[in-house]
Amino acid sequence: MADLNISMTVNGRAVEKSAAAGSRLLDFIRNDLNLTGTKEGCGAGECGTCSVFVDGVLVKSCMVPVAKADGAEIETVEGLAPRRQMTPVQRAFHKTGASQCGYCIPGMVMAASATLRENPQADLEEIKQGLGGNICRCTGYQKIFEAVELARDVINGKVPETALDEDEVGESFIGANVRRLDAPSKVTGALRYAGDMVVPTMLHLQVLRSPHAHALIKSIDTSDAEAMAGVEAVVTAADIPGEDGYGVFVHDQPTLATDKVRYVGEAIAAVAAETEALARDAVKAIKIEYEELPAVFDPHEAMSGGPILHDYAQDNVTYHVPIRKGDVEKGFAEADVIVEQDYDTQPIEHAYLEPEAGLAYEEADGTITIHSPSQNITHHRHAASRILGMPVNKIRMIMSPVGGGFGGKEDMHYQCFLALAALKSGRPVRYVFTREESIIASAKRHGFKIRYKMGLKKNGRITATEMYMVSDGGAYGCSTEGVMRKSAILAAGPYDIPNVKVDTIGVYTNNTPAGAMRAFGALQSEFSTESHLDICAEKLGLDPFEIRRINMMQDGAITHTRQKLGSVSIGQVLDEAEKVSGWESGAPTVRGPVRKDLGGDGNREPCTLVPRHTTTASPEEEVA
Amino acid sequence: MLDCDQYLLPKSLDEAFGFLETHGDAAQIVAGATDLLPWAREGRAGDVHIPVLIDITRIPELNGVALEGNRLRLGAATVFQKFLKDSVLREHAPVMPHVAVWFADDQLRQSATIGGNLVNASPAADGTPGLMALDAELVLHSRTGGERRVNVTDFPTGPSFSVLNNGELIVAVEFDSAAEYGASFEKVGHRRSLVISTVCVATVLKLDEVGQNFEDVRIALAGVGPVPVRLSECEEMLSGKTVTAALIDAAAHLPIDRVQSRTRQDYRREVVVSFVRRGIVEALASIGCDVGPFETQELETANG
Amino acid sequence: MGEKLRGRGMAASWYGIARTATTDRAGAWAELDDGGTAKIVTGVTEIGEGILTVLAQVAAEELGVRPEDVTLGDNDTARSPEAAHAGATRQTYMISNAVALACRDARAKFDPFMADYWDVAVEEIEARNGEVWARDHHNLRMPMEEAVALCKNNGVVPVGAGSFTSEHTGLDPVDGSGRPWQAYVFGTQVCEVEVDTATGEVQLLGVWAAHDIGRVVNPRGVEGQIEGGVVQAVGQALMEDYIQVDGKTTTPGFAKYILPTSLDVPQVTSVLVEDHDPNNPLGVKGIGEPAMVPTSPAIMNAIYDAIGVRITSLPATPEKVLAALRAKRNKDQVAANVAAAE
Repeated sequence: MADLNISMTVNGRAVEKSAAAGSRLLDFIRNDLNLTGTKEGCGAGECGTCSVFVDGVLVKSCMVPVAKADGAEIETVEGLAPRRQMTPVQRAFHKTGASQCGYCIPGMVMAASATLRENPQADLEEIKQGLGGNICRCTGYQKIFEAVELARDVINGKVPETALDEDEVGESFIGANVRRLDAPSKVTGALRYAGDMVVPTMLHLQVLRSPHAHALIKSIDTSDAEAMAGVEAVVTAADIPGEDGYGVFVHDQPTLATDKVRYVGEAIAAVAAETEALARDAVKAIKIEYEELPAVFDPHEAMSGGPILHDYAQDNVTYHVPIRKGDVEKGFAEADVIVEQDYDTQPIEHAYLEPEAGLAYEEADGTITIHSPSQNITHHRHAASRILGMPVNKIRMIMSPVGGGFGGKEDMHYQCFLALAALKSGRPVRYVFTREESIIASAKRHGFKIRYKMGLKKNGRITATEMYMVSDGGAYGCSTEGVMRKSAILAAGPYDIPNVKVDTIGVYTNNTPAGAMRAFGALQSEFSTESHLDICAEKLGLDPFEIRRINMMQDGAITHTRQKLGSVSIGQVLDEAEKVSGWESGAPTVRGPVRKDLGGDGNREPCTLVPRHTTTASPEEEVA
Repeated sequence: MLDCDQYLLPKSLDEAFGFLETHGDAAQIVAGATDLLPWAREGRAGDVHIPVLIDITRIPELNGVALEGNRLRLGAATVFQKFLKDSVLREHAPVMPHVAVWFADDQLRQSATIGGNLVNASPAADGTPGLMALDAELVLHSRTGGERRVNVTDFPTGPSFSVLNNGELIVAVEFDSAAEYGASFEKVGHRRSLVISTVCVATVLKLDEVGQNFEDVRIALAGVGPVPVRLSECEEMLSGKTVTAALIDAAAHLPIDRVQSRTRQDYRREVVVSFVRRGIVEALASIGCDVGPFETQELETANG
Repeated sequence: MGEKLRGRGMAASWYGIARTATTDRAGAWAELDDGGTAKIVTGVTEIGEGILTVLAQVAAEELGVRPEDVTLGDNDTARSPEAAHAGATRQTYMISNAVALACRDARAKFDPFMADYWDVAVEEIEARNGEVWARDHHNLRMPMEEAVALCKNNGVVPVGAGSFTSEHTGLDPVDGSGRPWQAYVFGTQVCEVEVDTATGEVQLLGVWAAHDIGRVVNPRGVEGQIEGGVVQAVGQALMEDYIQVDGKTTTPGFAKYILPTSLDVPQVTSVLVEDHDPNNPLGVKGIGEPAMVPTSPAIMNAIYDAIGVRITSLPATPEKVLAALRAKRNKDQVAANVAAAE
């Protein structure tokens, strides 16, 4: 590959460097200039974490071949304000709490700056359009909108600059809107995530992943890869010194597949090499012979005689949680109405903006240190100790800044082979996932299929709830056991129900593993309960709030797992939500067309995508 | 990942043709790169090596907007954001700001070019139906063949395919000013920004001097078949007729069978009817013509 | 030509705080440090939720310094005490209590020294905002910086350690009985939607969210969690879908895996209900996960309210909503025909 000679101005400084012909502006900024405030979230122009100004125009630097930017003036997040200072936009992000994990924030700050540079009077709709190419997974955007409107008003002198200062603290720091202490490092791009870390002599890791959903591995031949100059270590299951197997509840997942792969994307071998490109080439040079096996993708089929994934689970059931209280048959017999309905929920990707990454190295005393955005360094330390066959105090897990987790960074699916590559090569090794790799390799939210049956008296009292839930746990256990448990415990909702029968069954299939995700099984089961209650409310002519109040747990209630509660606040939150929304009561009988509480305060305008009219006059016009 | 040995930025059409000749099959043309880079990723083409990339965005002939008399000429490297910002384009190509605001996002619109959107020939291209509704003519150029002109309607021949020959470039897009026309663009995907069209409809129309009859109606549809298409059957039914809700409704039902997609057929058939109707009404509204209420029985049509 | 119809729906929810059906624990160390600063060390912190700031607020309050004076050393299994994992809505509940206990332990060394020094009762020692004083003694007051130096010069380093436990029991394998959590939270959300009956597209316009989170440490932080949770649920309810065909995903990147953008999200109005938990020193509970539980059913209930179709299979994509409308029309037509025939 021929190199290009690139000369440009970056944040006001002249830069002259050579760059690979096919490299992107993003690569040049991050790798050659070490300006890591510009992040890579997707590499496909879909997320905006890499937004930079090129000659004053905001672009996604992952979509710009570096050659296009030759001779240009580049401005990155690091260049927005002088060192140790912040622009009004950055200060406003700090003030309003607009940064959470912070990974999207440099791009978001750039998009906000671009929007206000183009039109310092931009209204909320224009601001939303200006941010339309930048995904945030943490904040729900609201505090970001607030920040941009605040910055706009400060810039225009509509509000004093002191509006950017921290709110005064009253009697106590607890209950005060103390500004986030980590926000300045996030809004300026100073914070380094694992993928931004660079250490001398560092190697780059790439991974060979299974193209098959279910197959035997007949042979792995790494000899060609190992012979390549610049390849410093090739790691397979044969290199694992200790007892392999990880998982939050059951240790059924191999660090690297041995004799069998169970899902598309499962890691089989890892290569550490001098460059990422070389490691990718070396991965392609590894030869694997597979024998494909029949696969199963539906949990119900898996439970009824489908191909078996794990020897210890001949019925493919990962975990079953039963909840029994009272006698549901008796409850149904007492009911005036019985309502049955099926529900299903889809698997979901966490989509944290920071793809997984890690950096591992051996310390002088033989300790192996692993930096990664892990949500569970304690558990990972224990598992790594067992897998690497090293004492617990020789495993040092460091939680690098986490660019969003939502449960998806609880599984230790790469830290151990990264450590092995560092131990085997004797060099620091860094591994940065692509977005596509993150999506196929990491666990998802469990999809659920739910059979629901509820009996009620005419007055709305629930006499019995029966729920049968089957969930696709994918190829490995991950957090399935815990997800089934939380789902089952909370399934029937915050209601006092004398007779409850709940079954939650997690099942192995050859799909991508399912694991922990925010609201951990309860989202799925409570979705069905809260949909079901509205169906019942319509049949009984009851307002949705009313049917819930009739059934809600009171202080001292006994839960479905027969736990006696203390104070129960469900009545309070029902009242508050009803009041603040100005809810017009009535049974849920498709009242939309006639109800009077629509369109009030607290609604945004529907998005109509009207073209903006911030026309810049073309030269001819200016002359005229 | 995309990888190349040489990335060339010709400064003239002649230099570009020279590069094409020198490198032959080893070369590929690139403009905004916003289709090429995402294509060379896992899950799509994977790792792609193209020996020579020839970037045509710095060629003067492919840049600039010129209004000569009633005829507008845009360089093929014009980026979509320009339709929102350039007052000449806003006035004379009234459908394009509506297309642009739906096209990807502010930042990609600064890179993505009209020529690139045409050559990429996606069935769901947003730019193409807009240009079809403007009855645009594409100016193609090659070293051996010189210049030829193709109506945009005849340009795409299938997903990723067009009538463009090897060694040929789109140099410019030309169309008559539609300054007095009403225009609209209807689109649906799975969200409101950065989204691929499931269905989109571009409408450009004009009433006669009395302001009661359709004089010129041009409607183009994308997302529902292998290539975007002009809805001549609707246009013919409307032209010269008095504007009424009943007439618009009848015309909107004509293109149902244009839906030839492999998936989501029922959905698209239903949306096409609604979008043609809504597109005409909104284009009329943009020139101050209010159609009045429609009968509300319109929704059963998709199965008809 | 397809109307845009609005509707409203609501849903309630509950959630358990910290690890489920197993005892949860977290540890922390605290030190009143030189220069009127403080050092807090704990094994797990920020994943974006704002816990760093929450811990600094708690430590400042407990130690008598300011949040910006607090240095947090954390996230390193070789350098910090165990605090277990960052998940399960356990951070504020578990770790801020561990920090509070560690701070109180440090104060248990510092306060007696100051009481001795001023010759007052230890209960009279108070500290806040970088100052320490003896209650009701106007002349007994000094900057924390000075007090800590004095303390150290007399041979006492004001350090402390804290361990917080939340008592949970496992579930019975047959009937599921047990005490999975000691703290529960409750929430209710109302959603308002606009459904385009031409396209089936649903826009969520407003969400009114009332959540009990126990004692609130940082109100903006709590709102941020609610707003973020609601918007993740918008994705779950309306657009996101990880699709696999024979085990291979057809949604391999963000062009096909559709996430909510700034143009797809509702305005959120939060009401914070503070039902203090009696089982922990601070009275806190949590909000991270429970914030997103009621949103998707409230959206489905609102869609039903607007157009009379019940979506029971997530997500409610435009295709699914329009198909349901079509099925409803056909059913209504059949019913009308039957009625006419009778």
